[in-house]
Amino acid sequence: MSVQERRSKGFKDISATFKINPVNNDLIGLVNYNAIARSVRNLILTIPGERPFNPVLGSNVNALLFNQLDNITASSIRTEIETTIDNFEPRIELNEVIVRPNAEQHRFDVLIKYYIVGLPSDVQEIKIALVPTR
Amino acid sequence: MPLVNFSNLDFDQIKTSIKDYIRANSNFTDYDFEGSNLSTIIDTLAYNTYINSYNANMVTNEVFIDSATLRENVVSLARNIGYLPRSRRAARLSASFTVSNLTNIPSVTLKKGLVAVTSQRFGNSDFVFSIPQDITVPVGANGVAEFFDIILYEGSYLEQSYVVSSRDPDQKYILPNTGVDTTTINVTVNESSTSTVQSTYKQYNSLIGVGPESRVFFIQEIDGERYELLFGDDIIAKKLVEPNEVEIGYIVSSGAAGNNITNVSFAGSIVTNNGTPVTKGFSFITVGGQSAGGAGIESIDSIKKYGPQVYSSQNRAVTSADYEALIPKIYAEAESVSAYGGEELNPPQYGKVFISIKPVNGVFLSNCLKDNLRSELAKYKVAGVMVDVIDLSYLYVEADSNVYYNSNLTPMQLGNTSRGDVFRGADIGSISNPVRDDALAAIGRYADSTELNRFGGRFKYSKYQNIIDNSNAAITSNITNIQIRRDLEAKLGQFAEYELCYGNRFRLKNHCRTIAEGAMVGFNVRSSGFKISGIADTVYLGDLPNANMETGELFLFKLNAPRQPVIVKRNVGTVNYKIGEIMLNPVKITSTALTKGTTPIVEISAIPYSNDVIGLQDLYIQLDLNYTRVNTVIDQIDSKTDVSGTNYIVSPSFDGNTLVRGVPILVGSENGGASSTQTSPTPSTTTNVTEVATSAVTGIVQTPSTSYSPSNTSSSSSSGSSSGY
Repeated sequence: MSVQERRSKGFKDISATFKINPVNNDLIGLVNYNAIARSVRNLILTIPGERPFNPVLGSNVNALLFNQLDNITASSIRTEIETTIDNFEPRIELNEVIVRPNAEQHRFDVLIKYYIVGLPSDVQEIKIALVPTR
Repeated sequence: MPLVNFSNLDFDQIKTSIKDYIRANSNFTDYDFEGSNLSTIIDTLAYNTYINSYNANMVTNEVFIDSATLRENVVSLARNIGYLPRSRRAARLSASFTVSNLTNIPSVTLKKGLVAVTSQRFGNSDFVFSIPQDITVPVGANGVAEFFDIILYEGSYLEQSYVVSSRDPDQKYILPNTGVDTTTINVTVNESSTSTVQSTYKQYNSLIGVGPESRVFFIQEIDGERYELLFGDDIIAKKLVEPNEVEIGYIVSSGAAGNNITNVSFAGSIVTNNGTPVTKGFSFITVGGQSAGGAGIESIDSIKKYGPQVYSSQNRAVTSADYEALIPKIYAEAESVSAYGGEELNPPQYGKVFISIKPVNGVFLSNCLKDNLRSELAKYKVAGVMVDVIDLSYLYVEADSNVYYNSNLTPMQLGNTSRGDVFRGADIGSISNPVRDDALAAIGRYADSTELNRFGGRFKYSKYQNIIDNSNAAITSNITNIQIRRDLEAKLGQFAEYELCYGNRFRLKNHCRTIAEGAMVGFNVRSSGFKISGIADTVYLGDLPNANMETGELFLFKLNAPRQPVIVKRNVGTVNYKIGEIMLNPVKITSTALTKGTTPIVEISAIPYSNDVIGLQDLYIQLDLNYTRVNTVIDQIDSKTDVSGTNYIVSPSFDGNTLVRGVPILVGSENGGASSTQTSPTPSTTTNVTEVATSAVTGIVQTPSTSYSPSNTSSSSSSGSSSGY
């Protein structure tokens, strides 16, 4: 099925900042591209077992960050991200996931390219810097 | 849409409710995607609701004794109605031994604490036996001190002491160990730690007779299956004051694991009257049977069951239900109890209560236990009422099932025969037959269930058939015939009269037909073979209904052939079909064809009028798997091998016309003659009943019965007695 063939009525999520929209005094919402980007980010950063009664949700990226900062680990992280998104985010179709070890900053730079299923759009990109924290 | 469903207790259901609510009431759309922020919030809300629901549910449940699940809550609720759950019970072992070579010593004392240990590893566990109090015996003139029949308790003796402090107004006296047998608790109170003035406190469980000066204590179970001792307040029982020192001794046991031990060796401490230890001269310990009486702490289910019952009985045994409630409290090993008043008997015996108890292990209670029970019950019973603990009477149910099955639905191959193999329950596993094996396994589970194994149990025919039908998907139907049986314990070589009560009406077969029509009249009662004085051949019991069809006459017959009875003696007893009772006039049985263990028995069975068999009064129903048969038959209609039913194998819904139980012993076959194998006779077989003169037969003394059996299962004569079991 072509990406462009499906139509969605749009996606609307709540912002995790819980800040107030100065215009209407309501909570700030996230729509479409932003909502999906936030969702992808949430999925990657969720540790399996973190969500109640859903022990498989999330990715093991967090654990991989403490491995060697090299291409092998980067490859594992990429696989993990791809699997997680395939399993839990049906709204996007992955185009490419690039993970680069950044030795200077001691982090992995992640670039995720994807199409949104049901919305006419170009390739979307999310950049995430994965830093091991304790 | 309002959020209306408040009864969900499952996380996913709660989450679905919240999603439904948002779907109907909000602009947000991402609740369906697990990665969204909204989904995280929904998870949090659902989790919070779930925890609250769980807590609310738990709190509500734990408030009521019926629904409480945590032991400390059940115990606490039982405490409100004055019920103290039974503690773990140490197994008791009666032991005797002597100490010799004691010269110029007036007495010796066996010190409390460890007395004996298991001589060898018993079931991979070692056990110790202790006593909670010192035992002093005098030394005989021959220098031997004899400890005779002292009761040893399985477990370790422990001591705990407290110094009473007025600075601690909430001081508690708690036994820190689990597994305490509360019947072994001994409490002594010293005036102070340096004083030699000592008083013993007794354990009480009621306020009757307790005054301000009474030296008593009460116990209550607290958390962790531990016990707390409660002392008085100088209004009810004497109060402890500073600087009293409380010494508490008790035994911590292994419960039921300590039962059935026979080999122990001495490991105790004996001192002379002046405190000198005795180190030699001990004999081996001889025990009076196996250790018994050990049991675990009362279960939560038991507390829920008996707590309210004991409360309703108010610790008084007045009605028969009171006895049934109190006995498990007194005797922990009671699996099932039946109590009934003598006024229910025929003829009535006023002023007596009869109790039958089925112990968890074994069949009968020992006389020692019966005596103990009587004395314990004396504390509760109404004055003037006599308690009689009688032996258990078994009423066996035998089921013979023809099980039809669809041969297309089972992998087994039974060959081309339409009628498959016949197996008894004892033959399980001999030949693979999934239908039969499944049916027998299901029957076995039913036989072990509490539905049967209790007093007041009932064999439910429809349920039994249903169990068979549901045991295997291939089974299409079953035809099951029921017999009820009691075993007459023969008193060999003695004249004795016998009475067997079945508590269920007997069915009369062929009573409306004549011999000329080809059917035998009578033979509703069938027995196994036995011999009586004066008759060389093996005889059997038979019956002939009277004109009223409610009672009948019993006769003895021998067999010339499996279907050729020869009556050797008439009027040897009576049968009451209506109440299900068999009375044998005094008869001297010399041998029986069957024995149970070493006990000679005569099995006597009949077909019940109703296929639902009840255990009346002290009768304890057991489904006898040794006589329960499952016969597999291919259902040719359902198997599509004979859809028209032309060759359908019909199974009778009524029992066959065999005259006796077991393999018939024919006249002459015992002296080297050919033994006959019993085959199921066809219903149309014609047999002539031959009668012989009975005047020449001896061994039957037709004395009118004048005695009466209280248990309605046994009777006695002037020259002997016997009972069914």
